[in-house]
Amino acid sequence: MQAPRLRWMRGRRAEEAGETRTLEWVGCDDAGEAIARVVRVLGPLWTGWRSYRAVALDEDGRVIELRPGEPPDGAGWLACVGGQVVGRAALPLQAVRTAEAALSPE
Amino acid sequence: MSASPLEKIRNIGITAHIDAGKTTTTERILYYTGVSHKIGEVHEGNTTTDYMDQERERGITITSAAVTCEWKDHRINIIDTPGHIDFNIEVNRSLRVLDGAVFIIEGVAGVQPQSETNWRLADRYNVPRIIFINKLDRTGADFFRAFDTLKEKLDIVALPLQLPIGIEDGFVGVVDLVEMKAIVWEGGELGAKYHDEPIPADLAEQAKEHRQNLLDTALSVDDAAMEEYFEHGDVEVATLKRCIKAGTIAGAFRPVLCGTAFKNKGVQPLLDAVLDYLPSPTDVPGIAIAAEEGEDESEAVHDRRRIKADPAAPFAGLAFKIINDKYGTLTFVRVYAGTLKSGDTVQNTTKDHRERIGRMFQMHADKRAEIKEVSAGDIAAFVGLKDTATGDTLASADDPVVLERMAFPVPVIDISVEPKTKESVEKMSLGLQKLAGEDPSLRLRTDQETGQTILSGMGELHLEIIIDRLRREYNVDANIGAPQVAYRETIGKPHTEIYTHKKQSGGSGQYAEVKIAFEPQERNAGIVFENKVVGGSVPKEYIPAVEKGIRVQADTGVLAGFPTVDFKYTLLDGKYHDVDSSALAFEIAAKACFRDGMKKASPMILEPIMDVEVTTPQDHVGDVVGDLNRRRGMIQNQESSGSTVMVRAHVPLKEMFGYISDLRSMTKGRASFTMQFHHYDPVPRNIADEIMTKSA
Repeated sequence: MQAPRLRWMRGRRAEEAGETRTLEWVGCDDAGEAIARVVRVLGPLWTGWRSYRAVALDEDGRVIELRPGEPPDGAGWLACVGGQVVGRAALPLQAVRTAEAALSPE
Repeated sequence: MSASPLEKIRNIGITAHIDAGKTTTTERILYYTGVSHKIGEVHEGNTTTDYMDQERERGITITSAAVTCEWKDHRINIIDTPGHIDFNIEVNRSLRVLDGAVFIIEGVAGVQPQSETNWRLADRYNVPRIIFINKLDRTGADFFRAFDTLKEKLDIVALPLQLPIGIEDGFVGVVDLVEMKAIVWEGGELGAKYHDEPIPADLAEQAKEHRQNLLDTALSVDDAAMEEYFEHGDVEVATLKRCIKAGTIAGAFRPVLCGTAFKNKGVQPLLDAVLDYLPSPTDVPGIAIAAEEGEDESEAVHDRRRIKADPAAPFAGLAFKIINDKYGTLTFVRVYAGTLKSGDTVQNTTKDHRERIGRMFQMHADKRAEIKEVSAGDIAAFVGLKDTATGDTLASADDPVVLERMAFPVPVIDISVEPKTKESVEKMSLGLQKLAGEDPSLRLRTDQETGQTILSGMGELHLEIIIDRLRREYNVDANIGAPQVAYRETIGKPHTEIYTHKKQSGGSGQYAEVKIAFEPQERNAGIVFENKVVGGSVPKEYIPAVEKGIRVQADTGVLAGFPTVDFKYTLLDGKYHDVDSSALAFEIAAKACFRDGMKKASPMILEPIMDVEVTTPQDHVGDVVGDLNRRRGMIQNQESSGSTVMVRAHVPLKEMFGYISDLRSMTKGRASFTMQFHHYDPVPRNIADEIMTKSA
């Protein structure tokens, strides 16, 4: 097991079935700068003329990805670096590793 | 009885496909927990939980048996359930009252049909469960192949907590992925001796990989555990266990363990997992109260009040099983709330009457230990209840709740049964009533046409066992036959008939004439009568005789002698004689008018059409639909759900006899079906001819 290289903190949260769950983990570098995030894909979202079953939002709640269906293979977590989606995973820890791998020099 | 605090109680079931090793595993549990001093074996017919003669003779579990044991300062109430689909009611009612379950999967075959069926039942009741891949010592056993079938056939997130060390003859122990250690059994002492050691070098890399998967999956249910992981790159064992338990209860994933119960390896860690990951009565949300009259059962369940496990609350319990033995009737009750002492009175809120609790027992298979008190979380057997059936709620008068009802499967096979001797008629009736009282999947009725006693059950084996129990327990030998389909007759077009009954052979004669119009009616309209006689052509006092004549004759139809239904007859006119007419003469005239008139009104035979629902794996849909078509079935619709498809069809009952056996062989036992009466339809000409030839 390799310890995460970034400092990961809770980001946005939401009430789900009576408990508060974290929908976003924010990865900060040594200077405390947020440089990566893993975001849980949500849905459905009604955009005014069409309903999307799965969406991803950034830290300001802006839509960064819309999909008409469920995430493929249950990959409901997006790994984002610098506002770009660099991969997706079924579980948040897997998405964390994906984001860190995208940041690594090799 | 409730010396154990609620959080130290586990009410669990052990369930699986037939021969996967449920009873064998239960035997080891009883041995390692000190309840038994020797291990019983299914093939030797000396297990604790298979106590019925038929179970020991056939080597199968027929009835669910409750046993209690202690492990590491916890009390575990275990129900060992049958594997055969005919006894599915036992699994159904056990899962309904348990807080958790151990699903045993065979290490060679993987997930088998009955595992799928039971899994869906557990889904229905939201039962948290762990999986034990058993028989890893067998030739051909493959942990990973069996594991893959969990995803393929059950469509679940299966989470290995262990990996096998060795396989088949070389299986010696397991790698514990939670504590990252090896557990190795030493042989001898029936598996009671085992020790921890470092993970073998050849498994280290594989174990590391699976440990990461375990962390990824388990920690995702707990944000605080994620933070602990981000901080340290790993988590404490206690944190990991807490996450596994939370995910297991929520159904986010299903922990998987492994071993070979028969070779006494892997059972103790399974017991640890029961304590660590399956819920105590306080860990589950509590049982919902029943829907109000007219309320949709499924939709409102989340909004309904739940009864939480609390010994100080008003009493609430559910009767889930009834057995009759030489000492009387034992009613098994799962206590959800409150405390009850023997001699107390409770309300049967389902039937709205009071019941006094006589004695109370903690059951250990067929043995019993008397107890004086039961509390929330307990399972006990009560003696002295007069009119409490399976599924009834017992509750305190202070809070007379009715708990969520139990759903019972519809019996699908009928047989007729009659005692071999006249002296046994009464005994057979009493015996069958008692057996039907114990078993909600067994129905008993008398066929009005044939006078036969008809037993309806879940399959041929189910009914065979019932007949065998009737012989052994009630000393009644019975003849068994195939039941007849309850055909009906009706007419297809209107016709008016005039009949004159005239008899003059000395003395007072008989004279009556009737003119009756016969008309077809819609299904289920029954028999409708209208009197349109004017001017007294048929005197009023003879009208009831006409009605009687038609109704009596309608019981024996003109084609094959089946009851005639769904027609209207109108008495239009008639003639009478001052001296020779009588009620009897009009009754005879009406009967003859019916016989002649019906023949000219396009008579037809009706047969019961069943609404059939077949749940089958996707790869057998073609076979199932083709077979239903061959049985004169009309496919109504097909719905897919995951890897299964539900096919709905209307099929004549006549074609459904023996269907369960055909369906099983066609789908390798993976499909199941339910059916219920839907409507009557005319039988095709060739079938009608066949029926008429038989009745002639």
